[in-house]
Order: sequence, then structure tokens, then C-alpha cells
Amino acid sequence: MRLARFLAATTALALAATAVQAQTLKIGASLPITGGLSVSGEKHKRGYELCTKLINQAGGILGRQVELIVSDNRSDPATAINQYERFINVDKVDAVYGTFSSRLTFPVGAILSKYNMVHAVPSGGALRIYEQGYKNLFYFQVSAAEYTGKDVVAVIKDLVAAGEGPKTAAIVSADDFFANAIAAGLLGEKVKDPATDKQIADLAPGYLADAGIEVVMREKWPEEGFNDWLNLANSIKRSGAEMIIGLTASAEEAVQLTRSLKTVGATPKLVYLSQGAQAEFIEGVGRNAADGVMIHTTWHKDVPFESTLAGKPFNNADFVKAFEIEYGVEPDEDSAIPFAVCQGIEQAITGAGATDNAKMGEWLHARTRDEPVRTVLGRFAWDERGLAKDKSHIMTQWHDGELKFVYPTGEFEGVVPFSYPKAGF
Amino acid sequence: MAAILQILILGLALGGVIALMGSGLSLVFGVMRIVNLAHPSLIIAGAYITYWAFKASGVDPILMLPVSAAIMAAIGVLLYRLMFERETNSVKYSEMTVLLTFALAMMVEGVLGGLFTNTQRVTSPDYATEAFFIGDVFIPKGQLYAGLVSLTIITALTLFLKYSRLGYAIRATTQNREAAELLGVNVNFISILAFAIGLGLAGAAGSLVSFVFSFFPAKHWEWVAMLMSVVVLGGMGSILGTVVAALLLSVVAAFVGTWIGATWSTMTFFLALFLILLIRPQGLFGEKPEMA
Repeated sequence: MRLARFLAATTALALAATAVQAQTLKIGASLPITGGLSVSGEKHKRGYELCTKLINQAGGILGRQVELIVSDNRSDPATAINQYERFINVDKVDAVYGTFSSRLTFPVGAILSKYNMVHAVPSGGALRIYEQGYKNLFYFQVSAAEYTGKDVVAVIKDLVAAGEGPKTAAIVSADDFFANAIAAGLLGEKVKDPATDKQIADLAPGYLADAGIEVVMREKWPEEGFNDWLNLANSIKRSGAEMIIGLTASAEEAVQLTRSLKTVGATPKLVYLSQGAQAEFIEGVGRNAADGVMIHTTWHKDVPFESTLAGKPFNNADFVKAFEIEYGVEPDEDSAIPFAVCQGIEQAITGAGATDNAKMGEWLHARTRDEPVRTVLGRFAWDERGLAKDKSHIMTQWHDGELKFVYPTGEFEGVVPFSYPKAGF
Repeated sequence: MAAILQILILGLALGGVIALMGSGLSLVFGVMRIVNLAHPSLIIAGAYITYWAFKASGVDPILMLPVSAAIMAAIGVLLYRLMFERETNSVKYSEMTVLLTFALAMMVEGVLGGLFTNTQRVTSPDYATEAFFIGDVFIPKGQLYAGLVSLTIITALTLFLKYSRLGYAIRATTQNREAAELLGVNVNFISILAFAIGLGLAGAAGSLVSFVFSFFPAKHWEWVAMLMSVVVLGGMGSILGTVVAALLLSVVAAFVGTWIGATWSTMTFFLALFLILLIRPQGLFGEKPEMA
């Protein structure tokens, strides 16, 4: 009799647990928590976790609590692929969040497309990712990296007095998906699909040529293991370039490059870096070296973006405040972007009224300028490839230890005058 | 001419730091036959100790060097007793240490990530980004100081190994462990001492690295192959060989980086490893292993 009671109770508990589990909405994210991409990977994790926590506190999505499953892919593409396969086939997740970096996003894109999952990409700007014909790809940044140079050159054209802009440039970059993509746009190269060798885009003549800036030095460093920063900085200095373009794959590389330029006594008129908006950058290079360095970003803490979370208004300032309460530090874009991805998935599920990824994809594709996805990065609507429409970068510049936004002017409050030329390091 | 001299200076300055990073690895292999793949991760641990002191109270990284070295040496004693001591008589000891230290590297990375997060760090004393300008050439102060301190430590270590009684014992154990034991050397104590010195060197290198390179817990994977190249080229177990190889490879890499391209500078280390294994597997200063 006792045994029968025990079995009945156990069965009831198991059934109850299963019922609760069935109500939980599962979302998987494979991130580089360790390995070479771990600096940004950990910040992405914080963005996803905070967003999920706030959604759950507000009652969840469609009345279901969200269970976030984060796996560490160790910065390895094969592991990332395996983990997304596991999320879909073993964990039976309802949706996924994208991973960090073009290097990991490119192979993961094929897997998520195979299973018809909505692929919300926080970081993966190389144009070739969006030319593979994947249906449900949505990039939560401004545009493909190849087009970044448009906003860089716009700053020079619009904010520097005619005839005083830089006439020569040195482009140094990591030999990496993202950095090479930005360089391709600046230099006007042809973009090809590496698998088929088919031409995707011809970016000639390139944004620099278009602005009348001559490239006097072009150098790449290997994706990993490069230590000879002083030698590179010395070559840049000797090139005499008036503008230094450092296309780094991580904030760490931006720190190394900037410190080395300071050490060798380089004196360019303008420095543009693809990374360096993070707090570690100013800590690593110091105020003087950072002063005047221009960086493109998708997000800035002071931009008054209006968004929603769990159906209620949740603005950029609310995100900054919530992040500081949760983690005790100010967020940077490496946490803001995944937060926006999470908002996008939440709005897609709510908008579709279900976790059917096909319906979620249709709902996201149907977004327009007036009916967008609203995130802490602003409004999003996408073209058929999955690239955001009608968005431009926020061009920022370090001013006395503070990252200020200088462009576009007239769009937000708080834009400060562009500082030019740079007064040394 | 000034351009060539400049490249030479930058290569030597970088090589001085890499020499210290590799010397602990070489010493540990020479004495105990441990291929310590965790050595770079322990250098990063030393860098974090230094960073923490610099951030908390502005202690100069070079002044923190003895503290960092002492802490890492103490950790070395613990690690040796916990992980390696019981395996010393194993026939496949060296092979086992590869696996053990690989696991240790991952554990150290995890612990550092937990303690300090994965955010990249660098200490910033003023000299780290300053240089002496002499005519058309410059000498970076940070790398110069790091290189000089590094070579001073290695010289002191060499003198210790050559002239002290403990140094004799360490060298005897390096040359022939069994014979040293027969002659009355307490090889277990010597192994603990050598491992502690090796990790002390990692701690010291960490203090210098903390203002030369930025670092984060996973950074060690980028360094392990470079350091192995230096140690193998120099001859595993030879401190002098490690120093010569580090200086040589860094200078060659600097010229390759400038004249051929930065992409190829890192390849210099691996190409040297490949060639030395083909031509002279025992390295520049290593002894040819006896045939069985």
C-alpha cells in the first residue's frame, strides 16, 4: 500500500513537472564565453540574460516564462554549429538568439536556415552572410560591414572644412571576416562568395577614393597571435598618412594599436577605429591617446532610443539603469546589441502569437519604418536579405575621457561638435 | 639605415620579454620533463595579480614583480604536490604531463574568468606608452624596461644554476635524474623547487607582460604555440637557448613583418619550429638524445 502511494505521488509530481516544463518557453544561445572571442561573448551573455530576466519579471512571453539556455562554444565554429543542432533537436527550443562574430555567424546561418529557425543576428556584419539566400535572417545592427565606410566618409565631408580633410590614409586591419569587410568597402574591392567564387558586390571605386583620400599604406595582421604592434605602428608613422584607419576585430586589438601609435609618436589628423567604444578602451589607452579617436557604433548610452519590452515602454535609459543595477557597471554596445536581439525575438513571438518560427519570420519581414521592431538600438525593419533598412551608424568620438556622439547631427539631442584635427596621442 | 636599426631595436625589445615568458617553460621541462602547456595561462595569472595591485593602489608593475613571482612560486609548490608528484615514476610521465597541464590551462582560464571576468586588461604606467627618441630612432621605454628586467632575471637564474649548490643539484637532475638520485640529490625536493622557480618566472613574466600586451583569461592560447616554438628552437631545457631563440625569432619576425607583411610575422615562429624539427630536432643548444 505504501509503495503504491509512493508511486502515485511520484507520478503526480513528474506529471506536474512536465506540465510546468511544457509551459516554459525555451530559447537557446551559443556564445563564445571562453576562447579568443570571450571578451565580447561574455558581454553578449549579460545582454541576453538581463533581457530574459526582465521579460520574466513582467510575466514572460504569451504568459510563459522564458528559459534561456546558454552554451559556451569556446569561440569554435564547429562547436557553435553542434550546439545549435542540439538546441533544436535535443533541447527542443522554441527560438534561438544568434552568436557573436561573423566568423561564427556564417556557418551557424546555414544550420538555422536548414531548420527554418528565425536567425536574429547580434554580430555578423559581413555581406556574404546575407547573400546566401537564407529566408529568416535578421541583422540587429546598422548594415553590412562593407557599407560602414559610407558613414565614416560622411563625417569628413559634412563636418570638416573643405580642403582641410585628410588627403592620405593608412588602412591596417585584422585578417578577419568583419575587418576585411569594412576594408573592402573603403577600398572599393569586389566581394565574392568564397564557396562559389561568385561576385556578390562590386564596391568600386570605394568610399575613400570617392572622398579623394589616397591610400598610402595597406597592411593586415593575422587573426590570432599577433604581438608586433610597435613595429606596425612604426610603419604607419613612416607612411606619413594623415588618417589612420584601424579595423580591429576586438577592443583588445584597438587598445594595442592605439597604445603603440602613442609610443611611436604618430601624429595623424584623424584616427578611425572599428572598435574602441568600450570602457576597457579608455582604461587601456588613457584620455590623451583616446581623445579625438572616432569609432562607429550601433548604440550609445545617451541616445534617446524608444523601445518596448514585454509590451511596455522600455527606453534606452531604462536599459542602462537596469544593467547598472544588475551588473554594477555601465553597459556597452556588446551588451546592448544582444539585448535588442532578445527584444526582437520577444516582439516576433508576441506579434506572431506563437513560437512558430515561420510565422515569426513573416511578422519580422512585415516590419516597416512606421511599424518596426522597437529596441534599445532604435527601430528595425529589414530588406529581403535581412539587412536593416534606413539606418546609419552613430559616429562617436572620445572627448576628454567621455565617448560622445558627433554624427549624424540634428537627429538626436546631445550631439557634440566634431574634434579635428587630432592633437597627437 | 635608421629604419633597419629601428626594426632591430623593436625586435630585440620584444624578444627580451618573450625570453622570460619562455625560460620558465624551458626550466620546468629540463628538470622535470613536464611539458607545461599551462605556463602561458599562469603568466596571465601573474599579469592579473599585477593588474589588481596597480588598479587598487597604483603599485608599479615592475615593483609588483617579486610579489607576483612569490605568489606564483607558492602556487607552483601546491600544484606540483597535487598534480605531478605521484606520477613521477610513471613510464609515460612526459606524455601524461601534456594532458595534465592542458587540463590545468583550462582550469586556470576558468578560474581567472570567474575572478576577473573575460574583460581584457592592461596596466598603464606612464612609461608603457613612452619612448626615448634618439635622432630618427626610438626605443620604447616599456619594452626596454621589460627586456632589461627580463634579462637581469635570466642572468641571475643562470648564475644561480651555475654556481649555487642547489643550482648544481638542479642541473644534475636535468642531465640525469637517476644518476643525481644515486649521488644523493633529493630529486623530489629539487623537482618541487624547479617547478616553483618555473612558476615564479611565469609570475615575473606576467608582471612585465601586464604593461606590454593587453590580456584576458583566454589569451594564453595565442601564446602557447609561440612559446613552444621558442623553447624547441633553443633546445628544450636550455635557458640560454630560449633567450637566443626568443631574441632571434623576434628580430626575424620584426623584419618579416615590415618587409613582407604583418600577416607573415607570426608565421616566422612556426616556420622556425618546423625547420628546426626537420634539421636539428634537439634545438640550437639542446643535446642530442641518446639512441636506445
